[in-house]
Amino acid sequence: MHKIAEVEIQHDIMVANKKLAKRNQKIFDNAGVFAVDFLGAIGSGKTSLIEALIEKMDYKIGVIAGDVISRFDAGRIEKHDVPVVGLNTGKECHLDAHLVEHALHDLPLDDMELLFIENVGNLICPVDFDLGSHIRMVVISVSEGDDTAEKHPLIFKDADIVVINKVDIAEAVGADENKMVNDVLELNPDAIVIKSSLKTGEGLDEIIQSIQKFMDEA
Amino acid sequence: MHELSMADAIVKTAIDVAEKNDAQEITEVTIEVGKLAMLNPEQLKFMIEVLSEDTLLEKAEVVINEIPIEIKCRSCNFEGLAISDDSDHYVPIVTCPECEGRDIEITKGRECNVKTIKIEKEDEDA
Repeated sequence: MHKIAEVEIQHDIMVANKKLAKRNQKIFDNAGVFAVDFLGAIGSGKTSLIEALIEKMDYKIGVIAGDVISRFDAGRIEKHDVPVVGLNTGKECHLDAHLVEHALHDLPLDDMELLFIENVGNLICPVDFDLGSHIRMVVISVSEGDDTAEKHPLIFKDADIVVINKVDIAEAVGADENKMVNDVLELNPDAIVIKSSLKTGEGLDEIIQSIQKFMDEA
Repeated sequence: MHELSMADAIVKTAIDVAEKNDAQEITEVTIEVGKLAMLNPEQLKFMIEVLSEDTLLEKAEVVINEIPIEIKCRSCNFEGLAISDDSDHYVPIVTCPECEGRDIEITKGRECNVKTIKIEKEDEDA
């Protein structure tokens, strides 16, 4: 004879990642490292921004460069003489806390003050996966269209700093950068929103000051 | 495309619990997916079915229920269900249903829970 039984499980699959993320943050805190997760669409300027910050910020910086299969981003960052680990996700569209934990073994955390984690270019999947970073910075550009924030609201809801990049070409691509700023603030009144151009250097000091502000508060 | 990794975790969780309960077969697995989780329920279901082949879960019916969005308003302290408007992905997460304020926090709707499984097992009393 067989009987049917119902078994309560109530297990949140997302919790496993959240636990690992918390563990990562503990590792960062113990090493005295402030971690920033850079999110944004493909081509929005995440790698360029990280390169510019490495050159301008007076901290010992290390980088985790996430990419689906290539090492292009890691290669670009290596040229700036900072420790970098290239993380390939294979077919996955986002970094998760487990992958980041693996990368941490290959970074000299005790000799670092700042960790930049460059997520896979994507405005959707990374939203679900906390990495344990202290802040999340979302980088979008005017060339993606000035309705980007409206189309992908959740990633902005979670962001601490939002960079609207490539404002020097806003007119050429017919985008209203101020609309983008307002859209983000409507979604997330607490976010620091900065217009930038990595070509002209506009906004870079403000981005650095904002990271500094969060580091001071941490 | 993170439905596959989530489906994999769901399948492993369900089989693990079934084995601990001496199940011979899982007949049904119920999953709850938050409306705001970046997961497509149809794709998730398909992936679970693919990964279930040759396992205790092979013949199980996969039931996916949606968890609605709940918010907390920092202006009027409202706590509860967000505005539900399926035609608008934006309004529920930016507007308080009570005071129409914009400063709201999402408190529910981002989960992916394996809720229950129904299993078939030997009836010890038989």
